[in-house]
Amino acid sequence: MVSLSDYLILSAIIFCIGLVGIFVNRTNIITLLMCVELILVAVNTNFIAFSHFLGNEAGQIFVFFILTVAAAEVAIGLAILTLLFRNKGSINVDVTNSLKG
Amino acid sequence: MENIYLTIALAPLLGAIIAGFFGGMLGRTATHTITILGVLVSTVLALYVFNHHVLEQGAVFNQNLYTWMQIGSLNVSVGFLVDNLTSVMLVVVSFVSLMVHIYTIGYMHDDDGYTKFFSYISLFTFSMFMLVMSNNFMQLFFGWEAVGLVSYLLIGFWHHKESAVEANLKAFLVNRVGDFGFLLGIGLVLAFSGSLDYMEVFSTLDKVVGQSLWGADLITVICLLLFVGAMGKSAQVPLHVWLPGSMEGPTPISALIHAATMVTAGIFMVSRMSPMFELSDVALTVVMVIGAITALFMGLLGIVQNDIKKVVAYSTLSQLGYMTVALGVSAYSVAIFHLMTHAFFKALLFLGAGSVIVAMHHEQDIRKMGGLRKKMPITYWTGLIGTLALIGFPGFAGFYSKDMIIEAVHFSSLPYAGWVYYAVVAGVFITAFYSLRMFFIVFHGESRVDHHTEEHLHESPASITFPLIALAIPSAIIGYLTIDPMLFNGWLDNAITVDAAHKSMAEIGQLFSHHGGALGMISHAVFTVPFWMMVGGIVTAWIFSLYRTQWAAWVQSKFQGINYILESLYGFDRFNEIVFVNGVKKLGNLLWKVSDAGLIDKMVVNGSARLVGFIGSVVRPIQTGYVYHYAFFMIFSLLIILTWALFAGDNPLLQIEF
Amino acid sequence: MTFDQILFYVFSFWFIASSLAMIFSRNAAKAVLFLILSFFSAASIWILLEAEFLAITLILVYVGAVMVLFLFVIKMLNIDKSTLRAKFAGYLPLGLIVAAIIIAEMTLVLGGNQFGLDVVAAPARHGADYSNITVLAMQLYTTYVYPFELAAVLLLIAIIAAITLVHRNELNRKKQSIAEQVNVQAKDRVRIVSIASSGKEAK
Repeated sequence: MVSLSDYLILSAIIFCIGLVGIFVNRTNIITLLMCVELILVAVNTNFIAFSHFLGNEAGQIFVFFILTVAAAEVAIGLAILTLLFRNKGSINVDVTNSLKG
Repeated sequence: MENIYLTIALAPLLGAIIAGFFGGMLGRTATHTITILGVLVSTVLALYVFNHHVLEQGAVFNQNLYTWMQIGSLNVSVGFLVDNLTSVMLVVVSFVSLMVHIYTIGYMHDDDGYTKFFSYISLFTFSMFMLVMSNNFMQLFFGWEAVGLVSYLLIGFWHHKESAVEANLKAFLVNRVGDFGFLLGIGLVLAFSGSLDYMEVFSTLDKVVGQSLWGADLITVICLLLFVGAMGKSAQVPLHVWLPGSMEGPTPISALIHAATMVTAGIFMVSRMSPMFELSDVALTVVMVIGAITALFMGLLGIVQNDIKKVVAYSTLSQLGYMTVALGVSAYSVAIFHLMTHAFFKALLFLGAGSVIVAMHHEQDIRKMGGLRKKMPITYWTGLIGTLALIGFPGFAGFYSKDMIIEAVHFSSLPYAGWVYYAVVAGVFITAFYSLRMFFIVFHGESRVDHHTEEHLHESPASITFPLIALAIPSAIIGYLTIDPMLFNGWLDNAITVDAAHKSMAEIGQLFSHHGGALGMISHAVFTVPFWMMVGGIVTAWIFSLYRTQWAAWVQSKFQGINYILESLYGFDRFNEIVFVNGVKKLGNLLWKVSDAGLIDKMVVNGSARLVGFIGSVVRPIQTGYVYHYAFFMIFSLLIILTWALFAGDNPLLQIEF
Repeated sequence: MTFDQILFYVFSFWFIASSLAMIFSRNAAKAVLFLILSFFSAASIWILLEAEFLAITLILVYVGAVMVLFLFVIKMLNIDKSTLRAKFAGYLPLGLIVAAIIIAEMTLVLGGNQFGLDVVAAPARHGADYSNITVLAMQLYTTYVYPFELAAVLLLIAIIAAITLVHRNELNRKKQSIAEQVNVQAKDRVRIVSIASSGKEAK
């Protein structure tokens, strides 16, 4: 039988892969946004696992809302990315260093 | 009585204020009338006070009139202590001041600052009164500083003359050095006695005796510090350098301040502090030796001076040395006696010199004078009386006081008294030499006066000659009249304390009665060494100035080394300039460049800015602008928090037994 | 090993493998495709957890809309061939170490001791007539209706924000020009016209 802890450990691993992806990647910002999606999916998995094992649907409702917000966030994130590409000419992560101290 | 004392002090002040602020409006005649009236009132009242206290043996008046401040248990007030010593000083100061006021009418006749001058000398008179009448150290110091201030104002009276301005700065600064020691002495008195009032301090002296301050006897230290103040004010070596420079001021003030009154403030102060000085032999020895040095060496300088006022200035320095020597051998009343006689004949000599200067149209070099005897008879005869008094011619005032000083030194048992005795005796010869030299060159011999001036040469007006005559009378007779009562019949007894071990006074008292009193001293004089010293001085002066003047030039060329030393005034001025002035300038430069600019500006002010900049430049690269760096820091911090929450702290989430 | 365990391990293997491939891939389009694969694995796991509606929603909405959007943007901006060499070497070991430590610690927390089968029992599987949608809807439209409406508003705002951000031309904005307003004259605004009256009284 798969226990709750297996699901939780799985989601923890995915979460950390997403974290690593954020600061390891040097290529482009799209990858960054995708790693954020990965983190969200891991969290969703966590919620659903708990919801299943504790018999409470509130977890699934919450996943519902997380999906909504994630979609909105992706939309706006890509809009910003488009603007960035328009202004800087590339979406290399290194171009976003205007706030350099 | 207290109103009388107040009037004595305040009448000249009132005159000074009116002359100072309204002098322009009132005009010359009204101004001088008002100020002279003020001083005249003070003089008359001073004579009355003298009569009351000394002749009728009135009680000593010691009262605080106005409490200035009360700090804890310390009470500082304005108060008067009037006893016989004060009365004598009051008479001397007021009389000389009155004579100088009258003299100024003639002397400053052509000057623009006529009313200002009267205001200043009245102000000076007020300050001097406050000084001598004070009953506590604070008021004494107030009077001390006030007379110093007015002296500064008056020396630089002709402020467009650069030499005058330099001289008045020098006077003030050297006085300041003396005042510094004086203040330290007062501070020590306050620290150990807890009060500034004379009587309270004197009554608690037995508490202070025997205590030591950093290894030295406390009372000696206090007395020496107070004497430093006296050295500054009364121009003892090495703080004497200001007095010759003060001759830049008009002659009336040279007479008033730098001969008769201000410079005697130091002598007065030491006499007033006689209970304290008696307790310290070391201090008395120092006083005596410094006085002897001043008396001898300043007299030597008078021989080579060619400015008529400078000769009299060095004479003043020398005589102040004599007074200090008398203080040192515990003959305080002799010192006051000499102070009184000196005030009269030295003021007379200065005013006489001023008369000559006015007649010569402000020419002061004696080599350009000569044979003035025929043209200025009154000045000549009063000058003669003054000179005879100065050199100690038997019968005149100076004879009695100087002789008493020499005898007192002879009987003193302090260390170095022997050497001091030889110094003061030699001083008699030197005094006679320079005085008569000046007298002969100015009044006798062929006239070397420049032709144009000679046509206008005439006796000075009455306003100048009247004070001369008025001062000549006491110069002649006051010694004879007052020596017995003042020195030996207790005029000053209620003011001066003499320790039994210092037996100079007692010895000379015996000598005096042995010789048959004042009259007897005259006839006895021929048997004393000082008399023959004086005669020798007179003869030498006659030889060198009248008989064979070319010998003077020959001696000067033969003894060039000594001549050089004397003419450069023993190098005191050079020494002060090199050591103190340049030293302070260098120190100032050093502090400016190294400490102020280098240390404070560069290191502290700019340095702190640089430090902030440095820290900023170190911290700034942390903000790289890259999101993934920020994310990494966040994750790393999350890891640390997680670890801490799991394993450490008071309530770790995991209880793990290893 | 029971069947669901096997399924779980297979699906989780693909999940982890595709996410690793995603972050290490050089091509942006390939990265998106790997992410889509990992989403499919996630959906499968969710079906294992009896959350069917959400699994399908994940595929339809998330993959179908959001990931397609990603692809649109990638193709539009033409960043398929990423021209830079990924500088992994610098931070990769450090990152992996940090990640490993985090995983280890989370395993300690979430491991068998706290959440194992003896602590949290495996629930009974639902019957064949269990409708996940119905159960969710019952909750969504009664207890959580307020957040539901708010989520709708949030999406609206996201639309407006995205459009506003990217729009190049100025939208038809009605602006005031104060200078023109002040300079207006009466004759520009009012015209007096005389009209012949009809002669009848007003009632």
